[in-house]
Amino acid sequence: MHIPDGYLDWWICVAMYVISAIVIGYSIKKVRGSMDGQRIPLIGVVAAGIFAAQMLNWPIVGGTSAHFVGGALAAILLGPYAATLAMTSVLVIQCLIFGDGGITALGANIFNMAIVDVFVGYAVYKTFKKYGNIASFLAGWLGIWLAAIACGIEIGVSSTFAYKIWVTVPTMGIWHGILGIIEGIATMGVVAYINVHHPEKMEVAA
Amino acid sequence: MKKAYVAIAIMILLAPLFAWAADKVGYSEPLENAAEETGAEENQSYSGIFPDYTVPGLNPYISALITGFIGVAIIVAVFYGVKMAKND
Repeated sequence: MHIPDGYLDWWICVAMYVISAIVIGYSIKKVRGSMDGQRIPLIGVVAAGIFAAQMLNWPIVGGTSAHFVGGALAAILLGPYAATLAMTSVLVIQCLIFGDGGITALGANIFNMAIVDVFVGYAVYKTFKKYGNIASFLAGWLGIWLAAIACGIEIGVSSTFAYKIWVTVPTMGIWHGILGIIEGIATMGVVAYINVHHPEKMEVAA
Repeated sequence: MKKAYVAIAIMILLAPLFAWAADKVGYSEPLENAAEETGAEENQSYSGIFPDYTVPGLNPYISALITGFIGVAIIVAVFYGVKMAKND
């Protein structure tokens, strides 16, 4: 879902940079006050784990596939503001060091994967938490689904995609709606494991 | 924390296997499919220090292993840096 350079019109690049910068700035403000020294390395470990998981492209027969994104998982483990910062750090390093996602599209990639996936995932988890493990499954699934639709809209209003938003949104939405089930299962598995073995590490559980 | 680092190391050790398997099935993301359907072309101007997780001169599987560990090291270092800056 990492958008490369050349896909987005300039105005959407700028708009996404502005929105993402505002949310990141607000997240830093929120996290700063509540952060003791012990939590910062924890955010780093979650970010590193998500980076590693994103390297594993799922080999699915037919070829159309994805990899874990992890915004919802980060939100459940760290809370949405720290999660946005963790995901942003992953995306910035992927972009600058590995050329994964374009520099001009970095604002949009942060918006989709570090903001939409994170905050949707968090809201879904909070809403369904009382029903148990299904909450983290739905958070992972719906978070990635809406992130993909956001991506579909951004490319769909861009000239490179011939403004075919009626093609891009269904392509992104349907595929990631299906593939997102895997994201949901992985999210649920990790959350369930940490809930059992390290409940003290759970931000939302606290 | 220790278990988390072990899990991360296992994922990176699996990266070459996943890279190979993704290659076998012709991995392509929905975003690339959308680009194909509409005739969109990417135009990557900057491709990073290790473009697409490759190390110049090394095969893609060894590259995935090395760049995976490099990426993890950078991220962990950044957050420890923030922690130290905050403690000053």
